[in-house]
Amino acid sequence: MSLARIWKVLRKDFAMGPRSPFFLYALVLPVVLTLLFQSAFGSLFEPKPRLGIVDAGSSGITAAMEAAEGIELTLLEDAEELRRQVEANDLDAGIVLSAGFDEAVRDGSRPPLEFFIGGESYASNRIILTVTALDTIREVEGAAAPVTVEIVNFGEEGLPLALRLVPIIVFYALVLAGVAVPGSSMVEEKEKGTLMAILVTPVKVSEVLTAKWLLGMVLTFVMAMMTLVLNGAVGSRPFDVMVVVFVASLLTAMLGLLVGVVSKDSAMMFGLIKGTGVVLFAPVLWYLFPNWPQWIAKLFPLYWIIEPIWQVSVMGESLSAVWMELAIALGIVAAMLPLIVMLARRMQAQMAAR
Amino acid sequence: MERTVSRGAILRALLKKELIAYTRDKLYLFLTLLTLVFVVTIFWIMPDSVEETITLAVSPPVETLIAEGVETFRAMGAPEEQLAELSEIDLAEESEGVDLLGFENVDEMTAVIEGSLEAWRTDSGELVIRDREAGDEKPEDATRLSVDIGVAFPQSFIADVAAGTEGVTVTVYSDAAAPPEIENAMTSFVREAAYQLAGRDLPVTMPDEDTIVLGVDRAGDQVSYRDKLVPMLAFMILLIETFSMTSLISVEVLQRTVSAVLVTPARIADILAAKSIFGTSMALVQGLIVLGLVGAFTSQNWWLLVIAILLGSMMFNGVAMIVGSAGKDFLGQLFYAMAFTVPLILPAFSVLWPGSAALWVQAIPTFPVLDSLVNITLYDAGWAEVWRSFGFALVWVAVLYGAGLFTLKRKVESL
Repeated sequence: MSLARIWKVLRKDFAMGPRSPFFLYALVLPVVLTLLFQSAFGSLFEPKPRLGIVDAGSSGITAAMEAAEGIELTLLEDAEELRRQVEANDLDAGIVLSAGFDEAVRDGSRPPLEFFIGGESYASNRIILTVTALDTIREVEGAAAPVTVEIVNFGEEGLPLALRLVPIIVFYALVLAGVAVPGSSMVEEKEKGTLMAILVTPVKVSEVLTAKWLLGMVLTFVMAMMTLVLNGAVGSRPFDVMVVVFVASLLTAMLGLLVGVVSKDSAMMFGLIKGTGVVLFAPVLWYLFPNWPQWIAKLFPLYWIIEPIWQVSVMGESLSAVWMELAIALGIVAAMLPLIVMLARRMQAQMAAR
Repeated sequence: MERTVSRGAILRALLKKELIAYTRDKLYLFLTLLTLVFVVTIFWIMPDSVEETITLAVSPPVETLIAEGVETFRAMGAPEEQLAELSEIDLAEESEGVDLLGFENVDEMTAVIEGSLEAWRTDSGELVIRDREAGDEKPEDATRLSVDIGVAFPQSFIADVAAGTEGVTVTVYSDAAAPPEIENAMTSFVREAAYQLAGRDLPVTMPDEDTIVLGVDRAGDQVSYRDKLVPMLAFMILLIETFSMTSLISVEVLQRTVSAVLVTPARIADILAAKSIFGTSMALVQGLIVLGLVGAFTSQNWWLLVIAILLGSMMFNGVAMIVGSAGKDFLGQLFYAMAFTVPLILPAFSVLWPGSAALWVQAIPTFPVLDSLVNITLYDAGWAEVWRSFGFALVWVAVLYGAGLFTLKRKVESL
């Protein structure tokens, strides 16, 4: 194998790459997904209790609820609209505060509290909003509580939600850059006959494959690292993160090579990606639903690269904590190598027979 | 010699050709089946319940606190009726949404919250504490509990508060991972309990319990994420089928086999009809299979689901015809397919969020199809509830299908 020839093929691929839609998707999608997930879908997995208030008299309850941590407050003008939103589950609960409500509470006339709960709101949200609202009303009343409550906190704060979505975005960076780009590059060369043209020069099949593998690896490494940086998930061990991302790029680019060698044309390649896509994506689901049995996730190949990325970049673990996962990922790479060599020989024989 | 061939025979021949083309690629067929199996398996693996209660550790257990209070009051000469009233307090029943977990020992409770000990509850309701580091075995027939917050009451809490003793202090222990709203709510919960024990009524008149809850009360019977996946899965299958149909159309356009077909007695209208029927049928059948395998059909809703999936299939087939006619090569068409279909997926995600979808999501053509699927499968909606969504979907089908037929016709004519 000649390094100079591999470099020439790789340089050509990088020069021609931006013409491919997969190349563009690989560059754009992680950024778009980061923006989309952070802004639009940020509240899916830890929904905050949602309270609506119609306040006709600048009540102290509204001010206290605005200051309350962890409650999503919506101020509305109309009581009917409040009822509609509570019933439609756009809000978990609603309070209507009439003018002079605070004064009535303070002078002991026990005004009626217009308080609604949505039928679809979770029991936990109901109790949070109810007791918080009652406590606030007690504060407005101004009487001293018969008990002092002290709070003792343990441990460190939990993971921000944004970080829990990182595996999804990293997955797309890995699969698009690592699988789709080298795969489509290989297939396109076959379809357009440029692979045949290259092979009549001194360039060997192994050199073309190595160049495609490097193309996938470089792109995957850059895009996965960029995704982690964009999501603030590089943590305190950037070197360790680079190592796990490097191993991930080795594996995904190898998968891309496999797809490219197996596929006769674009339709077949797309079919392969479509069919195996769900299997590749599956381990990511366990980061969204951590209560599912973890052993199932280990049955999927990309678990062995997504888990080290998660542990090192998000959870701040060192390489020693994920050496086994990395070893298995490298084992998968090593197992794929002879398979690709065998398939590449068959591909070459088929091309020669045409 | 001229032999007249009926339009029906031509259409049948073209449909047969489509089916052969579809099944020719065995790998493609296998992968389609694999996707179906995988999607259904994932559905059945997912948990079908919703965790909607807060687990609150309490030390000492409520029963101990009450027993202590009763003894103190008895010693103070309280009447028997008052003691009986106190003994009958069932905090767990009165606090829907809170799962109380009693600990005899405060240190044990704080160790569980901190994470150095594990709390398990057996099927018979017994609490088992496991010290993993000391080598304790995992308890049998038990579920591990996630305890983020706990309250340590003084042993004489009830008597002290009822007697108006000053300086009563309760400590709330909280893991830093516990959301702030839960920490605040549990603090409020303790204060309100103390107010009640001290005999201080609420400074407001609470509404009647029956009038508080608006809509169908689903407490304890929430729609699980698994159930929410039902309309989403059907929708995803339709979407994936769009890609398959796009591929079938684009291959014909790119390889110009459509021109070859046109030198036979088949007309453009026959080709368009065959593509429409075949694409819609494939999406319809797969959508219905998935709905069947996840148990979505009932004797009441089956015909509404068939209409919803039919409308969805036609809509996606229209998109497939537009995309299949565009682009200069396969990858270009894939690019267009993704550009067209990614926005169409967004309504499927809106199902996972509580409440109504944002207005801009409702404006997406696929929204009425998804909305009707959600209402039929999750809320047992009937014709009266979904006909409007069907109406909107039909308008979008007319627009997309019309645009698809027009685009494909123009493309075929230009070849």
